[in-house]
Amino acid sequence: MPRACLHLLACLLALTFARAEDSVSWEMTPPVAGPGQPFRLQVRIESDVILGPADRVGRELKPPRGMALRFSGQLFRANTTEATLNFSGVAPEEEGAHVIPSFNIRFPARLIKIPAITVNVSAATGFRRDGQARAELVMPTRTYYVGERIPGAILLKGSEQEMVNGSFGVECEAEGFTFQQTGARNEDLPNGQGLQTGFELTPIRTGSSEITINGIMLVNTGGLGGFATQGRDRPFTFRRRVTVEHVPETGRPAEWTGAIGRFLAESVSVSNTKPEVGEPIRLRAILAGEGNLDRILPPELASNETWDVVPGNDRRFRRTEDQRSFTYTLVPRLPGKHLTPAIRFAVFDPETRTFQRLEFAAQEVTVTGNAPAKVELVSLDPGAAVGTGKPAAGLATPDPTHHGLLDRGVQAVAPLAASRPFWATNAVLASLGLTLFAAAAWTAYLLAHPEILLRARARRTLQACRREATAARDEIGFANACVRGMRAGCAPWLDAEPAALTQSDIRRVLPQADAGLLDRVFRRADGDKFGSPATSALRAEAPALLGLLAELEARL
Amino acid sequence: MRTWWLLLAGLLAAPLPAAEPNADAGQMAYAAGDFVGAVEKWQAAILAQGATAGRLAALGNAEWKLGRKGRAMLCWERALLLDPRDPVATAGIRHAQSAGGIDRPALTWAENYASFLGADTWLVLATASFWLVVLCLLLPRLRRRAPTEWQEKAVVAGATIFLLSLPGLWGAHVYARRAVVRQADIFLRLTPTARGEPVSGVAEGDIVRTERPFNGYVRVTTADGKSGWLQAREVEPLWGGGLPANLDQKPAP
Repeated sequence: MPRACLHLLACLLALTFARAEDSVSWEMTPPVAGPGQPFRLQVRIESDVILGPADRVGRELKPPRGMALRFSGQLFRANTTEATLNFSGVAPEEEGAHVIPSFNIRFPARLIKIPAITVNVSAATGFRRDGQARAELVMPTRTYYVGERIPGAILLKGSEQEMVNGSFGVECEAEGFTFQQTGARNEDLPNGQGLQTGFELTPIRTGSSEITINGIMLVNTGGLGGFATQGRDRPFTFRRRVTVEHVPETGRPAEWTGAIGRFLAESVSVSNTKPEVGEPIRLRAILAGEGNLDRILPPELASNETWDVVPGNDRRFRRTEDQRSFTYTLVPRLPGKHLTPAIRFAVFDPETRTFQRLEFAAQEVTVTGNAPAKVELVSLDPGAAVGTGKPAAGLATPDPTHHGLLDRGVQAVAPLAASRPFWATNAVLASLGLTLFAAAAWTAYLLAHPEILLRARARRTLQACRREATAARDEIGFANACVRGMRAGCAPWLDAEPAALTQSDIRRVLPQADAGLLDRVFRRADGDKFGSPATSALRAEAPALLGLLAELEARL
Repeated sequence: MRTWWLLLAGLLAAPLPAAEPNADAGQMAYAAGDFVGAVEKWQAAILAQGATAGRLAALGNAEWKLGRKGRAMLCWERALLLDPRDPVATAGIRHAQSAGGIDRPALTWAENYASFLGADTWLVLATASFWLVVLCLLLPRLRRRAPTEWQEKAVVAGATIFLLSLPGLWGAHVYARRAVVRQADIFLRLTPTARGEPVSGVAEGDIVRTERPFNGYVRVTTADGKSGWLQAREVEPLWGGGLPANLDQKPAP
């Protein structure tokens, strides 16, 4: 038994120590730095004790050769178990992985060990310390095809000396193309030293032509210094000769309907998997990928002995989603288990210059109901005269003037139920009835509970007396208002007339009230009637009396 | 009380004397065999003075004489909506069914019940009896008195009339979902599509029960119980118009 207890204690201790392990993470911006590029290192520490401010952080920091690194500050929050420390540095000129050795950070409660951190330096990031800002055109270099969507971008690359802040006036001069900017006009480049603007080109006829894209970029010279920056516009122009052809006819499948790009069959679904014979259901297929989604003609589905197909509406999702749906309405002709028609696509890939086939899988549907027992073949004879099939005879001369009392003649044979004034009148009557019923119910309730009205009336009188007492300039007026208010406030509780209440009645309702105070105020108010005028001053006791009135009002 | 009820029933049922002392021009044309003239005159009368059961029934007769069965049936059916006991319309429909080969769905028990009065009359009865009951229940409470004997009787009478009018309302609602086939040589389709398979032929003037519309078609059930789809323009509902629609006239864009 003692052995088992020791084992249990050891397990608990192990769990406690495991829980006490500190968590350290770090992040570098940018993730890969260019040679000589400034970077920022952020170290985040989570512990199980309150950490507080770090002490002498830079002492143990030993950056690798060629790298400048210094502690730039701590994001400090009191009484938390987390700490965030920022370091700033400059990457070495030499490419490769540079390791910052492990170092310790001292907190008041604990010493935290930071593991070794690797800083990757590569010239491929495009970071430039010197040099002018420049624009680059990114477009696929190949033969284009009529109707395809060609994505492109203009990269505006800056340097430490010339920062690119924006661009405007980007336009394209190209015959036989449509040009459209896509996405945000100025998106940051990954290395933070420039911007990019995306666009789409769509060739609309074959031939060889020249594309000209020009615009203006905004450049800040003078580095990053806050007061030394000077901005100026710098135009750029690109000219590129391109060749446009039709999608090749060789090997073109019959089901190709203009799709150029790289697509995949995202999903296919039916609205109802158990319809009846003759009940329309919806078949929806979603195509996703990169390419000319807008220009694809919906593939045709032919009706067959099982399905009658009605072409439905199809729609493009938001441009960013790169999806398009095709919807068909299918009407089952026969009962039983059937597969919906498969939707087949052919797609031309402009990169590989080959056609690919896509197919939305057929869906299984169980059709209930009965098939038509016998289909009558209707033979139409367009030459037959109308109305000659059956004889028309009989029918004596009618009397159109014959009509009843309520049959006064209408412009359209429409039911009264479709009349809006009829229902509006009924609605008004219903509202009126409900209002009357509610009023009657409320009146009956008040009659059954008369104390509600008594209290409301007493509350109004009491409020008026309080206002009068507050505004009174002489003591007799003040005393009269207070006494009247106390009588009005106490009357509902004693079921008596207010004027009949005496000082002792007030004390029955307010037993905690000062008897002397009540005596003085009643003597002041009513003393003249009974030959015992008061001489004491009440002004000093005004707050107490007003407090009594307030208490009475609150109790009502 | 009974005298009042009898007087009201007599007013509703008794035909009024002719408003015009002279014979109706359409009536004279019809008697002379000029059915086109009769149609024109009765149509003009309906447009000028409104559609009554008598005018519509007479127009139906003239249309039938011209061989336009769809228009004739529509006129007669609309006349019966205005006056369920119009003798001319009733005779015309009976003639069309027997001699003209027109198919008309048999009335259900609710429709039979509803045909005792017009749809609007049923609705007025139901509404008036409902408000009578509400008033007689509310009035004693507003006055805070016990209901009097006549009020109790009125509640019982109103509630009875209201309950009796419910089947009439339902029957009128079902009856109103009928339509007349307006085109000759058409057929029911299995599916609501242009390539829909023909199921059964229907003739101009046949009455069908309509259900839901879809894709420019409407699902119908014929008198012999066959269901299928007809194009919406091939049928015309009973409610909603005075004169039958002119199918030769193209709709406005």
